[in-house]
Amino acid sequence: MHDLGRIHQLIVPLFGHEMTFNIEVIVMTWIVIAGLLVFGFLASRKRRLVPGSLQVIGEFFIRQFYDLAEDALDKEMAKTYAPLICALFLFLVISNWLGIIPHLEEPTKDLNTPLSLGVMGFFIAHYAGIKAKGIKAYAKAYFEPVFFIMPLNVVGEFAKVVSISFRLFGNIMGGSIIILVVSYLVYSMVLPPLLNAFFGLFVGTIQAFVFTMLTLVYISVQVK
Amino acid sequence: MDATGGEFAKGMAMLGAGIAMGLGAIGPGIGEGFAAGKACEAVGRRPEEAGLLTRTMLVGQAVSESTGIYSLVVALLLIFVV
Repeated sequence: MHDLGRIHQLIVPLFGHEMTFNIEVIVMTWIVIAGLLVFGFLASRKRRLVPGSLQVIGEFFIRQFYDLAEDALDKEMAKTYAPLICALFLFLVISNWLGIIPHLEEPTKDLNTPLSLGVMGFFIAHYAGIKAKGIKAYAKAYFEPVFFIMPLNVVGEFAKVVSISFRLFGNIMGGSIIILVVSYLVYSMVLPPLLNAFFGLFVGTIQAFVFTMLTLVYISVQVK
Repeated sequence: MDATGGEFAKGMAMLGAGIAMGLGAIGPGIGEGFAAGKACEAVGRRPEEAGLLTRTMLVGQAVSESTGIYSLVVALLLIFVV
């Protein structure tokens, strides 16, 4: 129970300011990235018309997310944004599954990871909006129903970032806290693997999918 | 026994965390149950669409769960930060 609120931090003084690195989160993120790179390399190493097993998995993911992106955006724009959507989902799903391996932790358990991904989605959505509609139509969308509702629209845009990042963070953090507390209560017998399967695999997959879909929806709202 | 200053604030923060989580869990409970009930009705009407309906229901529930998650985050902040 003592490791509930424990964070390993590296504090580097720089020009009178202090930079703080959360060591575990960085290392876990690197593990996820390395796993994804290895998967991508193995899946695309021997490309054939009759695919191997890893190539089938890779093609399945790519096809599904290209279809989703083509439904939400149009066909031309899907080519630009579907790789982003696919990479985002794979990163999040591997991150959320990482907690079921002992001694490893989900990088999404720290608020910095979901928040940075949410901010990234925010900027990409607005960039896509400006690029698709032009700056004038983009700015006009803020004054849409009536003139004086503009502050509400601006606050609503920022609330989207807070909403998706806190949803992912809260789900993963709450799941890991419940696993920890229940494991402590039953002396780590019988129950924790089932809880890990539910909170790690099931909730992790669904939340990764929800995060990805919402990012896609935000892009499509800006583009339309 | 009289609680002073910091202790009193800590106790009130714990109380607030309990109230936040308890009240915040009502809304998602009702909402997710409503979504699941509607999905059951729809599956009963069209059993061949069960896969699509289940997927849509799960995503909708995950979105409507977020208010409960916000109250969880507030409760965690009250417990560990205050």
